[in-house]
Amino acid sequence: MPGTIDLRRLGRAIAHASRLLTGRQFAGRGLTVFPDDVFVVSYPRSGNTWTRFLLGNLISQDEPVTFANIESRIPEIYFNTDHAMRALPRPRILKSHECFQPHYKRVIYIVRDPRDVAVSFYHHNVKAGNIPDDYPMEKFIPRFLAAEFDAKWGTWADHVMSWIALRQNQPTFLLLRYEDMKKDAVGELAQVADFLGRCSFRAIDSSPKKLRRVVEASSPERMRAMEKDQARDWVLTRKTRSDKPFVRTATSGGWKSTLSQGSVAAIESAWGSVMQRLGYELTEADSAGAIVTSGAAHAAE
Amino acid sequence: MGRGSQVTEYFSSVISYALGRRPAGRGLTVFPGDTFVVSYFRSGSTWSRFLLGNFIHQDEPVTFANVGRLVPEIYGFPDRVLRTLPRVMKSHECFDPRYPRVIYIVRDPRDVAVSFYYYNLKVRVIPDGYAIEEFVDRFIAAKVVGYADRVGCWEDHVLSWLRLRQGKAGFRLIRYEDLLANPSKELRQLAPLLGIDPNPERIDRAVQLSSAANMRSLEQKQSKEWVTTKDTRKDIPFVRDAKAGGWRSKLPPTCVNRIEQAWGTTMEELGYELAGNLQTPAQLVQG
Repeated sequence: MPGTIDLRRLGRAIAHASRLLTGRQFAGRGLTVFPDDVFVVSYPRSGNTWTRFLLGNLISQDEPVTFANIESRIPEIYFNTDHAMRALPRPRILKSHECFQPHYKRVIYIVRDPRDVAVSFYHHNVKAGNIPDDYPMEKFIPRFLAAEFDAKWGTWADHVMSWIALRQNQPTFLLLRYEDMKKDAVGELAQVADFLGRCSFRAIDSSPKKLRRVVEASSPERMRAMEKDQARDWVLTRKTRSDKPFVRTATSGGWKSTLSQGSVAAIESAWGSVMQRLGYELTEADSAGAIVTSGAAHAAE
Repeated sequence: MGRGSQVTEYFSSVISYALGRRPAGRGLTVFPGDTFVVSYFRSGSTWSRFLLGNFIHQDEPVTFANVGRLVPEIYGFPDRVLRTLPRVMKSHECFDPRYPRVIYIVRDPRDVAVSFYYYNLKVRVIPDGYAIEEFVDRFIAAKVVGYADRVGCWEDHVLSWLRLRQGKAGFRLIRYEDLLANPSKELRQLAPLLGIDPNPERIDRAVQLSSAANMRSLEQKQSKEWVTTKDTRKDIPFVRDAKAGGWRSKLPPTCVNRIEQAWGTTMEELGYELAGNLQTPAQLVQG
């Protein structure tokens, strides 16, 4: 709003300055990367937190992952200092939302149907106070397509393609679809265990019994219950609205009942070819040649 | 990292932050009207800056003393200062989804390897007598020096831009070799992207002012004024051959082989003919 002081921005600036003065600035892109690091990378709202719970419970032998300990188990590079993360036992598993980073040597990339990402991202922005409760979805979608909310990640299609085009089918890259994980978490987790085994993680118990236990310990119900108790302990939810949950429906295909036809068509015409490449079926109304390449938003300016 | 260097790093980062002097780099604020001249290291981006700078700016010829201001580098100034400078900027970043208009300059990686080798001698990253074979291995693995390794190896860098942007509006791929062979033609084709009228006098002026001979004589007079050359060895020039194909005489065949083995497919896609006799992995094992 013109003329008024943006208190949230001011608060962020002060927090940033004080972290810097005390030598506690978050790592982000300044992260020290070790060659044996494993990164869990995704576009925002694509199931990254759930995957972190799954991975954390998979590699840990003792206590289950909670919102209170996740940042010391599988830390997010934007909310932890380089110093603290350097002290972790290696090989480390780190969460990142970066577009293609050539120096990430081992990457588990999670992709999710962008129509569901859009819905989830909408609610996330309401929770974060970026848009009001009654903000029309029709207005949100074009802004989402233009990557307006967090320009540094790029659009969904740019993000996905940057990793796929450069790394798909390489042994150090594992592509997971959120939808496949929902359908068969144990099966996908077995792939992850295999991948981690190749990434010099030793002694991972990947017996079906253990995998089932891991999936149970990371179920949406468990995560929701933990969020209720621990939302204030977790850096990602601490300063957000507590009347809106972080763990939402945790389902796939929700867009079918939430998004208008126009919104769906807009997403599909911008990113249809990338969606199809990843096996996300387009709605019939739109598949008649309306598919534009992934760079549409880029070229449109 | 030792305690001493950690403390130094801490103070320099606090001071540069407090004074607002931290170079923008990847943290640059990108505006819709921005244009970026992107390339891997040692791929002709300095010469391109001269050429483009002389094409864009009509009032003063580009020199080593003013190139930083006329075609600024995103690593050269804080974000705040860059906002006040011309927004055709030089960058070495790997794919950045925010860049709206990109002129990507690619160069034969065999020549890049040679040029990068001499450059690292000049800036004292490697000592005199350092084996070029060893350097080429590091070059292929992107294990040369921190700031460069961050943007990936030559192939990752090139493909990150090509796969995401080739054929899209706002992206132009230029081979350094083509730019050398026919700068006028390339400038003429770039004119629409830059929003410049491509009249022949304007192009001729830019090409003449940016000749290797002119740049060499400028370097001799101004290398102390230019941040990139200021504290480096004077016995190795920054503007070296400025030629294509120097690798044929400067690069040992084993190095040529290794580069072609690693990146051959991408090189061919870009029209860089392979020297051939590619060894199969089995032959390499045998020695």
